[in-house]
Amino acid sequence: MASFSIRKGFNIKLTGAPAISVSDAPDAQTVAVLPGEFGPVKPRLDVQEGDRVKRGQKLFHSKTNPELCGVAPAAGTVTAIVYGARRALDRIVITRDANDDAVEFQRFDPAGIRGVERGALLKLLQNTGLINLIRQRPFGRAANAAATPKSIFVNGMGTGPFQADINALIKGREIAFQAGLDALTRLTDGKVFLCLNGAATNASALTDARNVEVHTFEGPHPAGNTSVHISRLDPMKPTDVVWTIKAVDLLQIGHLLLNGEVPTHRVVMLAGPGVAEGSAQYYRIRIGQSLDSLLKGKLREGEKRVIRGDVLSGDATGADDVVRLLDTGYTVLLEDRERHLLGWMMPGFKFFSASRAFISTWLGGTRREWALGTNQHGEERPMVLTGLYDKYMPMNIMVDYLVRAVLAHDTDEAIKLGILETMPEDFALCAFACPSKVDLVGIVRQGLADIEKEGI
Amino acid sequence: MKKLIEQQMNKMRPLFQPGGKFERLYPLHEANETFLLTPPDVTKGAPHVRDQFDLKRAMIFVVLALIPATIFGIYNAGYQHNFVNQIAGATLMDHMIAGLKLCLPIILVSYAVGGIWEVLFALVRKHPVSEGFLATGLLFPLTLPPTIPLWQVAVGITFGVVIGKEIFGGTGFNVLNPALTARAFLYFAYPAQISGDRVWASVIDSKNVVEGFTGATPLALGAVHHDGQTMIEVLHQAGYTLKSMFMGLEPGSIGETSTLMCLIGAAILLLSGVGSWRIMLGGVLGLAAVATIFQNFGGPNAKPLAELPFYYHGVIGSFAFGMVFMATDPVSAAATNAGKWIYGFLIGALIVLIRVSNPAYPEATMLAILFMNVMAPMVDHYVVQSHIKRRTRHVYA
Repeated sequence: MASFSIRKGFNIKLTGAPAISVSDAPDAQTVAVLPGEFGPVKPRLDVQEGDRVKRGQKLFHSKTNPELCGVAPAAGTVTAIVYGARRALDRIVITRDANDDAVEFQRFDPAGIRGVERGALLKLLQNTGLINLIRQRPFGRAANAAATPKSIFVNGMGTGPFQADINALIKGREIAFQAGLDALTRLTDGKVFLCLNGAATNASALTDARNVEVHTFEGPHPAGNTSVHISRLDPMKPTDVVWTIKAVDLLQIGHLLLNGEVPTHRVVMLAGPGVAEGSAQYYRIRIGQSLDSLLKGKLREGEKRVIRGDVLSGDATGADDVVRLLDTGYTVLLEDRERHLLGWMMPGFKFFSASRAFISTWLGGTRREWALGTNQHGEERPMVLTGLYDKYMPMNIMVDYLVRAVLAHDTDEAIKLGILETMPEDFALCAFACPSKVDLVGIVRQGLADIEKEGI
Repeated sequence: MKKLIEQQMNKMRPLFQPGGKFERLYPLHEANETFLLTPPDVTKGAPHVRDQFDLKRAMIFVVLALIPATIFGIYNAGYQHNFVNQIAGATLMDHMIAGLKLCLPIILVSYAVGGIWEVLFALVRKHPVSEGFLATGLLFPLTLPPTIPLWQVAVGITFGVVIGKEIFGGTGFNVLNPALTARAFLYFAYPAQISGDRVWASVIDSKNVVEGFTGATPLALGAVHHDGQTMIEVLHQAGYTLKSMFMGLEPGSIGETSTLMCLIGAAILLLSGVGSWRIMLGGVLGLAAVATIFQNFGGPNAKPLAELPFYYHGVIGSFAFGMVFMATDPVSAAATNAGKWIYGFLIGALIVLIRVSNPAYPEATMLAILFMNVMAPMVDHYVVQSHIKRRTRHVYA
């Protein structure tokens, strides 16, 4: 066990922190599965409208890999199959019924998981769709069962503003967590790393996890990002494949292994300045249930933006969205279109900034909690101030030059500069602080997509 | 007040939007609107929250940092004018008024003419008017002698904005510092009005100047040999002490004479995080290194300026002004952290080298910075290459 202290970075403190308590969200009668959630899969349907499906029954499989399936999170009748633009399968809607029968998958003894064959485990994870919880680098896609990862990183911490806290969720599920870890050790010939927050007290199931290497990281965001952990513990070559998973997601895999049933519920976090007083906490909710049913009555008045994940790296969701298998939480911001008179020359008592160009920063503003909105605070401009991004990048990456290489479509240079060791989320803090309001996250995402398309 | 402006802007905007009467003038409206009110734009994707800091804010800090040097420069211009022309009993107020009469037109012409070019290019290219000009428009006049003809100011800023910046694609894409490009153009095109001993104070009647006045700047004194006297003695004889040169009540370009005011500016830039301390510190180290080498190993036939200890070099001429305000322009400087050290160090080193070994160009700061502007991409290139080499070692270890 080693502990790493990260110095570069910055913590954004928002109001509306979630209380460490879990309550049940109102249940819903229909659930939906969105094949698009799992990345660029080409789904082939295995059910028709009107079919009766069991919980865990196959709904569709991938055209390129028949083992990879999407399954029903609840038992009931397929009431709608909705197609979106260009006849792409958008969602499969299931109306639940009282007969909650389930497909039985193989059940494992906690002590026996270390002895299970890799192939059998992968088949199970693919057949249940839970392999999507494991992400593969480079490019951050769902793990490809055909690849053997050099190592697997389990992220047991989050330093971004409001990320679901494994310590709050592991209580009572310690055995499932260890079962998940044991399964991971079967999937790689290399090591499994579990990275924890060194500054917080961690549950003993985390610190005393067996069969894996436990390490701690301390420091401001992005000390909790998996890219940082990889760069410190087991750096990637451009040709390496590494799998990553969030510790909270590993609980789902553990559940499957121990019970032989696909998980029906997730615990998700609801937080942010747009959440009404007292509602920011964790909710146990059915997978596939509409987001509306969770958010109804829990948000503040006004125009809002619901973000899947955290405000730095998550995507905005729409009203017709559902709780997805990969969701760990939602952050709600108020849309902020307020204009300030001569804002560029005001002393700035009420402005939040990581820079020192506002009085508020000098008065300790960065240590306070802020009810930030979505205002961009300026218009996009050419990249002018240099070296600023490096303050927020605790990896051996030259952000300015990496971004310029991507913009110039120089993929060779971008790879040399380390783009394959990163994910778009690693540039979110740089983008937050960027005075030119450049879309660094989008640029890097596009750069990675281009390289993926061209091949390394 | 804010509501009223917002209403007016909402009323005006359709005129400038596609299909409106003044569609082609949209960048002008945009500049005007965002000058008055921060834009209402919301983030389009991750990250969903953004820092309050934007480029307008950064540029306004450059202007803010220039204000002490500007005010002192105006005062100094008036002081020199009143001193040379033996205007008796002039008070601080009189100096300021005389200085304003000399300097204000220069600043206004620079902003007006440069601004017109800036807007013109924005309209043709349909890109927003750049905030970068707020700094350029003030930097340029501060590098000029107070007696410069106004038409030369106009020609100079035109050259600086058009050739120095816009033909490269505008702010963010230029190789050279636009303000220095403008000054260099005037320096080589019209040397009589920007160099020599006569340009630093306006003489009303040449028969009535103060006795012994030569108008020679400290650097000009260094260009000639003085038998039997050390350089410091020569400076003292002309009335220049370390302290007086630090304070800056002496002939010179408008903004550069006072090292103290430049240091205040440096403090503003560094505390706000807008200026690069690596470049500034690198420059001081480069200057100190080369000056110390000259002082100790200059040999018996060394040029007079070689005798000076490095802190004299620091207060003489426009080293401080150039290092604080010109070298730190992020667009034309080196972009990597290591590159900034090298870039700053070499500017400081080159300034002393040119001063000492080529007194034909007593003012070396401009040339050194422009030279390093050109070299900055190469410095960065080597820094990035060595970064890649180290990365490979790190990853393949």
